[in-house]
Parts: sequence; C-alpha cells; structure tokens
Amino acid sequence: MSRHWLVRALRALDPDPRRLALAVLVGTAALGSAIGLMATSAWLISRAAQQPPVLYLQVAIVATRALGISRGVLRYTERLVGHDVALRGVTTVRERLYRALAEADPAVITGLRRGDLLARVGGDLDLLADLVVRGLLPIAVTLTSLIGGAALVALVLPEAGAVVAATLLLAGGLVSWLAARSARQAERDGDRARRELSAEVLTVLDGAAELRVAGVLAPRLARAAAAEKDLGRAREAAARTGAWSLGVATLATGLGTVVATALALTATAQGRLAPVWIAVVALTPLAAAEAVGALPAAAVQLVRSRGAAERVLALIDTAADPRPSEHPQPHPPVYPQPHPPLHPPVHPQAHLRAQALRCAHPATRGTADRGGPPEREHPVGPLTLDLPPGRRIALIGPSGSGKSTVLLTLAGMLPPRSGAITVNAEGGPVPVQDLPEDALRRTVHLTAEDAHLFTTTLRENLRLADPFADDEALLEVLDRVGLGTWTRSLPQGLDTVIGSGGRDVSGGERRRLLLARALLTRAGVLLIDEGTEHLDPRSADELVRTLLDGSLTPATVVLVTHQLTALDAADEVIALSAAGEVLPPG
Amino acid sequence: MRPLDPRLLRHARASRTHIAVTAVFGVGTTAVVVVQALLLAQVIVAGFSRAARPGEVAGPIAALSAAVLVRAGLMAAQERLAHRAAVRVIAQLRAAVLARLTRSPDLAAGRDAAAEATLLTRGLDGLEGYLTKYLPQLLLAATLTPGLLVVILWQDPWSALAMAITLPLIPAFMALIGWSTQSLAARRLVSMQRLGAQVLDLITGLPTLHALGRARAQALRVREVGEAYRRATMSTLRLAFTSSLVLESFATLSVALVAVGIGLRLVSGRMDLETGLAVLILAPEVYLPLRLVGVHYHAAADGVAAAEQALGILDGPVPAAASPAGRLRSGRLPAGPVSVHGRGISVQRRGRRAPDGLSLDLYPGEVVALIGPNGSGKSTAVEVLLGLRAPEEGRVLLRAHDGSRPHRAGDGELEPAAVDLADVDPQAWHQRLAWVPQRPVVLPDTLEANLWFDGPRDQRDRAAALTGLDAVVTTLPEGWQTRVGHGGHGLSAGQRQLLGLTRAVLRQDAELVILDEPTAHLDVVTERSVLRLIGYWRERGAAVLVIAHRPTLAAQADRAVEVGARLEPSLT
Repeated sequence: MSRHWLVRALRALDPDPRRLALAVLVGTAALGSAIGLMATSAWLISRAAQQPPVLYLQVAIVATRALGISRGVLRYTERLVGHDVALRGVTTVRERLYRALAEADPAVITGLRRGDLLARVGGDLDLLADLVVRGLLPIAVTLTSLIGGAALVALVLPEAGAVVAATLLLAGGLVSWLAARSARQAERDGDRARRELSAEVLTVLDGAAELRVAGVLAPRLARAAAAEKDLGRAREAAARTGAWSLGVATLATGLGTVVATALALTATAQGRLAPVWIAVVALTPLAAAEAVGALPAAAVQLVRSRGAAERVLALIDTAADPRPSEHPQPHPPVYPQPHPPLHPPVHPQAHLRAQALRCAHPATRGTADRGGPPEREHPVGPLTLDLPPGRRIALIGPSGSGKSTVLLTLAGMLPPRSGAITVNAEGGPVPVQDLPEDALRRTVHLTAEDAHLFTTTLRENLRLADPFADDEALLEVLDRVGLGTWTRSLPQGLDTVIGSGGRDVSGGERRRLLLARALLTRAGVLLIDEGTEHLDPRSADELVRTLLDGSLTPATVVLVTHQLTALDAADEVIALSAAGEVLPPG
Repeated sequence: MRPLDPRLLRHARASRTHIAVTAVFGVGTTAVVVVQALLLAQVIVAGFSRAARPGEVAGPIAALSAAVLVRAGLMAAQERLAHRAAVRVIAQLRAAVLARLTRSPDLAAGRDAAAEATLLTRGLDGLEGYLTKYLPQLLLAATLTPGLLVVILWQDPWSALAMAITLPLIPAFMALIGWSTQSLAARRLVSMQRLGAQVLDLITGLPTLHALGRARAQALRVREVGEAYRRATMSTLRLAFTSSLVLESFATLSVALVAVGIGLRLVSGRMDLETGLAVLILAPEVYLPLRLVGVHYHAAADGVAAAEQALGILDGPVPAAASPAGRLRSGRLPAGPVSVHGRGISVQRRGRRAPDGLSLDLYPGEVVALIGPNGSGKSTAVEVLLGLRAPEEGRVLLRAHDGSRPHRAGDGELEPAAVDLADVDPQAWHQRLAWVPQRPVVLPDTLEANLWFDGPRDQRDRAAALTGLDAVVTTLPEGWQTRVGHGGHGLSAGQRQLLGLTRAVLRQDAELVILDEPTAHLDVVTERSVLRLIGYWRERGAAVLVIAHRPTLAAQADRAVEVGARLEPSLT
C-alpha cells in the first residue's frame, strides 16, 4: 500500500469538510465550557472572598451560569453532527464498494468468499464509521481543548501555562500511544487464541450430541477451556499496559497541577500575579485533565478501525483492478444494438460450442489470506461440447469434480484455462469473451448452486430477470415450475416477502423459484446448477425430467444434477471423475 | 437493563470478589479525592491571603504530591484488577453456558443456534466493557458520590443541600426520558436494521445479480437504501442522545449553581475561601461517576444483554434429556448382543407429536429403514433411541438377544429379560453403538484426529477404503494430516458423510449402527459403496437403523418402519 491507510480511508469516506469542521468546533466548545466553567468559578470565588460589591461579580456569575448550561447542549450537537458525518461517509463507501463490485470482472466476485464479503460489508463498514465518531473526532476535539486550556493558563501566567501544556500533552500522548500499543498487542496475541476458541466453541455447539455419543465431548470442552486461558493471558498482558498508562497519566496531570500552583504562589509573592488568579491557575488544569480520559479509547478505536479500513479498501482495489485482457481490442458489437433495448431481445437460436475446454476455479483468496494452505485447483477437462439450440445435456460427477466450474466458464464468468467457447452470430461463431456483457447475459444464463433469493417480494425477485413482466406472465411461469397453486394460496400472493425476516421458503420452493427466474430471462441457453439439498425425491425427479425432456422450456439446457433417476430424458449425459476428467459414456 | 444482576454473582464466582475489591477501591479513592481537594484549597489560600512562597507551604505541597501519587496508583491497580476479573468472569460464564448447551439434545427445538454461537463467541466478550468500565463507575456512584456529599455537608451545608436536590433528579429525568422514548426508539431500530439488512442482501446477491445482468442497475438502490438508513439512524440518535443531554446539562449546571452560591456567601462573609475552594474542587467529582455511568452505558448495554441471555440459558428449564439428574441408574445392560424395542414413543415438539406412538424392533444382523415425510420425527426418534432425549410417552427396552425375533411383542412378553433404556447409564449404552448424523461434525484438527481412533494405521486405512474416504484423502494437500474444520480445509457435505461413516466403521464392536440419511449428499458411485457398507455391518451381526429418503436405500433394508406425526390440538 503506497499511502498511509488513514489518508486512504478518509479519502474513501470523503467527509464534507464543513460538517467535519463544525463537529470539531462544537465539540471543542463543549469541552471548553467545562474548562471555562472551572476557571470562571475559581476566579469568581477568589474575587468574592475579597468582598467587593456584588455588582462587580455580575459578569462572572452570568458567565458561570451560561457555561453551565451550554455544555450539555453543545455536546449533544457535537454528537449528532459527528454521527451524521460518519454515516454519510459510510453510505459513500458502501455505494463505492458496491459499484466497484458490480463493475468488476465476474471472476473476481466468483473468487470471493461469501462470508468474507458479508463480514467486510457489515462489520467492517461499521468500524469505519466508528473511525470518525469514536476515533478522529474525539482526538481532534480533545487536542484543541487541551491546547485551549493550557493557553488560558498561559494568559494568566506564561510559565504555568507551559507546564500545564507540557504535562497535559505528555499525558495525552502517552496514554494514547500505550493504549494503542496494548490494543495492537491484544489483537496480535489474542487473535489466534480467539479464533481457536471460537472454532472450538462453534464445533462443540454444532456437534454436541455426536461428540457425546462418541464419548469425545469432555476432551473437546477441555480444549475450549485451554484456548480460553490463552486468550485470557493475552488480554491481561494488554490490560497491564493500559493500567500503567492510566496511572502515569493521572500522575502527570496531577503533578502538573501541583507545579502550576507552586509557580502561581511564587509569582504572587513576587508581585507579578494578582492573588485572585492563583485559583484559576490551579483549578483550570484539573478540569482539563478530565478531557485526557477520552484519548485512550479513541486511540484504541484507530487501531480497531485500521484493520477494517484496510480490508474494505483492499476489496475496492481488488474489484477495481482491471483484469489483463486477453482480447485487448474493444468488444465488437455482435448483436446490433442501436438503442438500449426495452425488452431483452430473445436469442432462441444461440448455438454454444466449447472446443477442448479446460477450466479451473481461481484459488480461493480467503484461505490463502489466513495462512491456510491454498485450495488445490485441478483443471477440469478437456471438454468438447456442441449445444445446438434445444439440446439438453446433464453433467454429473462427485462433489468437487468441477461441475460448477464448467458452468461458470460456459457462462463467461470465469476465463477458460485453454480452449474456446463460441456462440453463433451473424457472420459466424464468436468467442463468448468478445460479446458485450449485456448480450452475453441475455444469451447464456447461469443459475448457480447458491443463487440468491433477495429479501423482497416474490414479484421483485422474479422481475430481476425481466423488469417488464406483468403478473400474468409471472404466474404463467410459476405455473410451469409447479408453484402456481402455492403462490395463489399465499395470503399476499406475489407481494409475499421472502427471505430473512419474511416468509421462509423450503428447499424445493427455492429451487423452483430460481428455475422460474431462469425461464423469465428467456435466454437461449440455460446453465442450471442444482444444489444438493434434501428434497422430496419424487417431485425432484419430476422437475429434472421436465427440464431434460424439453417439456418445460425449448431453450438449450445444461443441468448439473445429483438426481440420477431422470437422466434417461437427457440428450446426452457427461460424467466427470473426481479428478475432473470426462469419463467415457456409460 | 438491570445495573447488577444477582444471577451473575451466583453463576460467575469471580464477579463477587471483583465487586468487593472495586468497592474497597471506591472508598479509598473517596478518601484521596477529599484529601487532595482540602490540601489544594489550603495551598491556594496560603498564597491568596498571605502571599506565601511555595517553600512556606512545603508540607501541604508534599502531601498533595503524595496524594496525587496514591490516586494514580489506585487507578492503575483498579484498572488492572478489573481486567483480570473480567477475563475470569467471562471464562466462567462461557464454560458454564457451553457445558449447559451441550447437555441439550436438540438444537432445532425452539433454539436459535446462530444466536447461541454469536453469544458464546462475540457476545460474552462484550461483558468486558461492563465489568471494567460501567460497573466500577456504578460502584463509585454508590461510594464516592455519597461520601463526598457527607464531606461537603460538613464543610458547607448549603452546597450539600443543593447537590442533594439535583443529584436524584438526574436518574429520575433519565428514566423518564428513557421510558417515553424507548418504544419509539425500538420501533425505529427495527426499521433501521431492516434497511441495513437490505444493503447486505444486495451485496450478498451480487453474483446472482451479475448472472442476471442486473448488478449495475442496483447501484442506485444501494445509495437510496443507504440514505434511508442514515436518516432513520439519525432520527433514532436524536432521541437516544437526549438522555445524555439531560445528564450532562444537570451535572454542569449544578456545579455552576454551587459555584455561584459559594461566591454569594463569600461576598456576604458567611464563609471562608478555603472551604469555598474545597467544595468547588469536590463538586464536579460528585457528578463524575454518574456522568461516566452514562458514557459507558451503551458499551455496557451490549455486554449486559449478552450476560442476560447467558444467565437465561443457565437458569432456564433443564432440557428434556433422557438423563434426569438424580435418577438411579440401576439397570444393567445385558452383556451380549441386545435387541432394541421402541414402544409407543411420542415426542412433543412445537404443537405436534413427532414421532407419534412409534414402535419398532431392531435385531442383530437386521437392517431397518425408517421412512416418513420431512418433519415426521425420524431424527427425533433416533435421539430417543440414543438416550439423548426422554420421550413424553412410551419407552425403549433393551433385551439380551436370544435368537428369537418376536416382532410387535407386548411389553409383557419382553419384560422379564428387558431393561428400560432410561435406567441404563447412557455412557455404557453409547459405547455399544455407532451413530452417523446427517451432518457429522468436523473438529478443527487434522483429518486423522477427526477419526477419534488411535488404533493401528492399517486398520484406519482399511476403514477408509471401505467407505471411500481414502479417495478424499488423496486429494487433500497433506493427506491425513490436513487440518480440516473451522479455519482449515473445507470438507463438502458428502465428504463429511464419508468421514462420519469411517468413524462408525472404526467403532468395530458397535452392536447398533444408526445412519441418518447417509447418502443424501453422495453421488451414485459413493452411494453404491454405502449400500455395500450396510451389508458389511449386517454380516458382522450389527443391527442397522437407516433413515432413508432415497428408494435405493430403503430397498436395501430388511424392513421399513414408517414414522408419522400428529398435530397436538391442545397446544397452540
């Protein structure tokens, strides 16, 4: 990484400088009121002890009351403005991240772990927001206030001001540095123990019954306890540093007050300082010292947000990184596209061919990042396929043999290792990589094994495939996949919200919905990856059969399936071995 | 949120000493704060009234420095001890909850496995903030605040009176605002979370959107949802921050009013400066613990919520395991091969009985298929047979196998030679059987360690060859020594099943083998080897119970038993 992470994170958050300045200003005013309140009160009391006419004290009395009221209001405003800045920033980053991912090469998305993506988008973005609210803002506000407090003392007595500035900044710097160091230390030493502990806990929780029956539960619980102990040791070591820093900071600010007071006494004895100011010099640093207390937490926040910021930024970089193209010339438009089409043009005559195709899934990034062994990638193939319009083939093979990789490659979402995939067009076959993405997606559609149903209505989920389909068209497709009756029986029909927080759909319903969505794309070639979910075997057989015998759709179908009983309906069955080789027919 | 849950003291012993030690530190801190204030006031007044040089007040200044040193030491020690206590409390709670949860047989019945996992990993760690920051301040509010009030009362009754009036107003107003905004905030929080989830949902579904060619079109939606999320969050925060607004305002305003009051009494000569300054120095310290309680409230709330959840689990009803504590396990498991007889087994789950009155007989050397639609209670029936769960009705009898096979025999015929499973030590029973659940567990360890077998290597290899796990081993980077499970090499669902089957084969003296949908994730070749495997167990004279979805599997069995469920109208 060329530039400092903080600079890059701020650039990505792109906070409005005026809002940010306002937050710092209001925050400083809030802390300043507390310090000012102490200074004014000290002066007021000392002056009152000289028993002047009350009139002389009116200004100080009013100022004291005003400062007493303003603090709460200013602090409230600061927090609101600060959170607003942070949330705006996160919205910006989130959109940027989404755009980067949306425009990225599909191979990049395919190579990302779903869990990684979720963690970065959820937790890491929150941490990025905290970077502003709990990290940078408090540091800026505290520093300005400390300098302000010291300056106030310096106005009264320069040498005391210097001592106060030195002790406050020393204490603040020291606690921040030590707190950050101990947080890093805890993260470094505790991270391994924490991962080990959660792995043990999750496994034991997951398989308690099996472990108990097999008689191995007790040793597993003991291992969890050992991991807990390691984690505790790392945490305590970090806390020791924290405790030291707190003690030293308290000592520094306390002694600063004592020295400043002594200096004030000397100055008064020498006649350089009016007696009423002694209390101001003594009590102002006392109030300012309290502000130092916010620094350690802010420094720790910087440490915590740093990892999150780097992960999010790396993700944006990965997505934005252009793939070294094997076809440097601009995509020739294969299908004439004078205007962006309102309705997706249908290409029922797409003829897909694969010649001596070898493909491989990119090594999963996530594993290598964590120091684990890189996932083994064995290439699949060579595979030669001829898919004239309406041909229906089934692809079978053991788990891990690369069936899904073949589909991803055929769909143009992974670059082939070698060989070529072509699709017919005016004037002859064209490599799929040369097709504009829009045209490709409308010609060849892939429903992946883990295809996503969005948390929204049935209608919106289906309309992703065809934004202009009306309810009649949707119900017609649902009827074809055997969900028509189910949909009509729902109280809210097509308006039913599915997914988390909505209606649960069973494994069978999910697969049928995905199929309905695939049919709605009206793509000439459907590549369908069936999951390995527990399904009622009879109806699953039926669904596979209708896909393979052409009664469901006239489109070309490549189906990855584990349902073997209906394979006789296919035009051709291709079997892959565990090593990814094509087995001879039969 | 309860400030201090007595259940915490009961379940985590370390929390008791923590509270006692913190309270002692609170008293010590009070003393030091008072001494510091009195000494500082004395030094200032010496300079103010008689222009004393520092040398003339060397005693008080030295004492003041010593007080500062003691206070710094107290704070450091307190911080250190608080963290140590937090580490212990969290460890105790986690171990207790984990032990409790592993006693429960059924993760599906009304329990949220994901929530439990979160609670046990991240959730409980949130207690650290509560124990090291919130609780000490709370105890200071209970020791330092009243202690200082007493000192101020002795110095300047009028200031003490003013504070005694304003102090209770702070929690009262906070509670009032909290109540009136709580429901509103909760409602907003829900909509906020929904918006947050929507963005996540879009990003999770990106590969799908890509496949549909709709990824770019949704970017605008991400922005809209993000903006809506920000607005919802801000309106929640405007409410949420009002309580701290009240807190801060009251605390500072009270200090200001006390200061003005002191000033006016000084002008009229009813008070001396030294007292006035001491009270002024003490006044913010009176409110400080309360303010810090407010500051740490939100950080602590997460931890307290987690703790409440954990304590709820610990104090919750004992799961209906088949091992009620205290029951005399007088039953002796017959030494030789046994036959298993389930009689009228019914288990109640979420308003239905599944299974409902199941009876079955398992004899050595026989394969029985358990069939029935999803949710009919096949897996629950297996839990009963394993002795992990006590049925509401019916029982499981174990009988020394004498070669006869009296199917559907009445209890009376079985009784003389049979023993009730509920009377048998579950560990002894478990040693006689092998069970392969639907998703066998993969421990974060090497593949070899996952076999739970420390016998000779060739035995291991023979078992792996029998199940087909050997083919998986050859594809792994480090063979048997490959680390699998969390953080290691991922095993597919099918590979997990092969692992589970190999474990079962390695339990060579198993008399009863229970397989829960053993071919669900397997391809046709491996499925065939599982069918062979079932034959292998039959030949060895084991009783085999198979939960079967696939017809090929059910066809392999000697008999099939259908499991049925029934709605329970009395519940719901």
